[in-house]
Amino acid sequence: MNPVLTLLRPRLLAARRAAFSRQDPTASWRFALFGLLGLGFWLGIFALFYRVLTYFQSIGEEGFGDILALKLLSMVFPTFFALLLFSGVVTSLSKLYLSRDLHLVHALPVSPQSIFTARWIESTIDSSWMVAIYALPVFFSYGMVYSQGPVFYLNILAALLPFCVIASALSAIAVMVVVLVLPANRFRSILIFLGIGIFLVAYVALRLVRPERLVDPDASLSLVRYMASLQTPSSPFLPSTWAFDSMKEALAGNLGNMLFHNALAISAALSLAYIAVWISRTAYYRGVSKSQTAKTRTPGPLNLNHWRTRPFGFWKGPTRALFVREVKTFFRDSTQWSQVFLMGALIAIYLYNFKVLPIEQAPIRADYLQNTLAFLNMGLAAFVMTALAARFVYPAVSLEKDAFWIIKAAPVSIRTVLLVKFFIYLPPLLLLSEFLIIATNRLLSVTPFMMALSVSTIFMVVPGIIALGIGLGAAYPDFQSENPAQSVTSFGGLLFMILSAAFIGAVIIIQAGPVYRIVRAGLSTRVLSSLEIWWFVISFAIVVILCVAAVILPLRFGIRRLSRISS
Amino acid sequence: MIRLESVNKRYGHVHAVKDLSLEIQKGEVFGFIGPNGAGKTTTIRMLGGLLIPTSGKIFIDGKDMAKEPEKAKKIIGFIPDRPFLYDKITGMEFLRFMGDMYGVDDKIFPDKANGLLKMFSLNEWGNELIASYSHGMKQRIIMCSALLHDPQLIVVDEPMVGLDPRGIRLVKDLIRELAAKGTTVFLSTHTLEVAQDLCHRIGIINRGALIALGNTSDLKKAALVEEGELEAVFLRLTQEQPEAA
Repeated sequence: MNPVLTLLRPRLLAARRAAFSRQDPTASWRFALFGLLGLGFWLGIFALFYRVLTYFQSIGEEGFGDILALKLLSMVFPTFFALLLFSGVVTSLSKLYLSRDLHLVHALPVSPQSIFTARWIESTIDSSWMVAIYALPVFFSYGMVYSQGPVFYLNILAALLPFCVIASALSAIAVMVVVLVLPANRFRSILIFLGIGIFLVAYVALRLVRPERLVDPDASLSLVRYMASLQTPSSPFLPSTWAFDSMKEALAGNLGNMLFHNALAISAALSLAYIAVWISRTAYYRGVSKSQTAKTRTPGPLNLNHWRTRPFGFWKGPTRALFVREVKTFFRDSTQWSQVFLMGALIAIYLYNFKVLPIEQAPIRADYLQNTLAFLNMGLAAFVMTALAARFVYPAVSLEKDAFWIIKAAPVSIRTVLLVKFFIYLPPLLLLSEFLIIATNRLLSVTPFMMALSVSTIFMVVPGIIALGIGLGAAYPDFQSENPAQSVTSFGGLLFMILSAAFIGAVIIIQAGPVYRIVRAGLSTRVLSSLEIWWFVISFAIVVILCVAAVILPLRFGIRRLSRISS
Repeated sequence: MIRLESVNKRYGHVHAVKDLSLEIQKGEVFGFIGPNGAGKTTTIRMLGGLLIPTSGKIFIDGKDMAKEPEKAKKIIGFIPDRPFLYDKITGMEFLRFMGDMYGVDDKIFPDKANGLLKMFSLNEWGNELIASYSHGMKQRIIMCSALLHDPQLIVVDEPMVGLDPRGIRLVKDLIRELAAKGTTVFLSTHTLEVAQDLCHRIGIINRGALIALGNTSDLKKAALVEEGELEAVFLRLTQEQPEAA
């Protein structure tokens, strides 16, 4: 058998087994949950583009809507190409140089280019499938709005396939060249920083553009005109131009031109694939060898070498052991601590949003609106904490990885381990959430009652969110994952997000009625009735019970499940 | 020191350890040998508190592993066969971590840790990240950590895997020395020579069941082998029997 096919066989067998296995009873639930979420997102993209395209069509001037639609399409392709390139670089770096099974594969009597080809095929599929699937609703919306026939839909496939292959081949070539100079591990760290940097710049830039002005019809129209005048990269040598031209010709019904652009893309894809395999003959194995000899030996600039006994010397035993290890590991892992920048940007944008709120222009009373927003802000801040907990708290147990045996063999209960993890994450997230709430309430100039209510509610809700993260992370750990930080996309991670959202929603709903009455009474200087006071007291007591239960129950569940799991 | 009462472990349909009962005295070096997949590592992991038996009881120095796991684990030094560790901390930091976990006094820790690092030839590597350690070095740092709290019982799975000849000699001498001081050692190994050299008694496990127990002469008698080494006994006792018709 062809060595490339042989090398791909384990992956195919594993995929087939995963698809048809009936051993795991939760698998079908997981599949349904992920399927529904994915479908919802897919339909959301479709609805958005369909709405935008029909809006363009409705703009009065002759042919202006079509120009805008084509302009939008010409923006879509470079965006997809950038996504495919970045995803391709990350995936091929991992597949070609950082996979755990590389030692085994490179010991096999097959040529490096066979290994490269097999890995590159895997990498192409892994890095492209999601972009390709979520590109479909964009093109489908064009097909629907412009009433296209089967040729247009077939052309989506013909244009996307070489487009993905070109991006993947270019990524693999770039990775092979860079790894010759820079070891794979270091390259990955740089990529992480680069990714975060690009995201931060895009996120902050998008927010500062103030997209809420789109709601204003005058501003919206001028923005549409501005968009029409934008220049997108359209060099005849860019793959995104070939794909765009192909789709544009398909929309116009020019089959000859459509096929010409597809032929250009396919020939480029085949040539680049050949060039990548050719380069792999000399570059791939050298890069693999270099990556294996470049492990970090010393802790680096963030060494925290003296943390152990000085500020935390008052702690003893397992608490100190787990705390010090957790903090040191966090600050020595660039994939972990670099996320703090994201947190900073998130907070800055969050506060900025409240600063630019046009409360004075609202048709309802400003003081009423301020207090309503402050009340809803409790939920919003709690959702932000859920997002942060999903990234930092939920993977805390999975981060033990294969070394979990140390915890299991140590004379310390799982209860202690989970409680230590709980108390490690509680102070920073609690402080952060209280800071957000107090700062936004001050920006909104809310009443003292609303300030006290927000501060106390968040004080009770955040421990519940963290306990949910730790408890469910312990109940559904993934010690085998190469990147446990991504475990939030697993079944347990989604369950955490859903339960956390339900918990926050329940707290907000329980408090909404009595708080509304109190705020209304306060604004109209009316005295509260005893029924209203009792309603508030009882609802607040229910919230307290709910928050206590949200701390105890998930932690107990996590302790019970993790105690049964062998390392 | 160790008492196992009718211990069973099942993984779904697989009966990995069958009705295992065993008693090991203080200061005894006990070897556990058997073919691949016989149930050695499963037994070792149950002894170390990493796995819960499906049924049966495990007592360590009279403490029930199911009821008082922390007390039982506190007197064990556990050394697994595969040295998975925390990559982002240094060897010395790992020892500090283990010292805190097992309640080693802060005052005696530095001398103790440095002494162990020196003994296992890791003194020059103490301040380097574990990520940069070789397999054998990781195995040695685990051994350092297992000895840090002066355990009364050492449970070790394949002690010689990954060690160089000097390391093997060191570990052999160490086990003898510890046993002479009253420490109990429960070791599983595929190296029959190690078992023969070190162990006061040997248990042979096959397909989850303990099929022979005793010192080398007892085992020879059980296997009806008069001459030769432990290897002949092992091969005789663990040879595949034809399935009954």
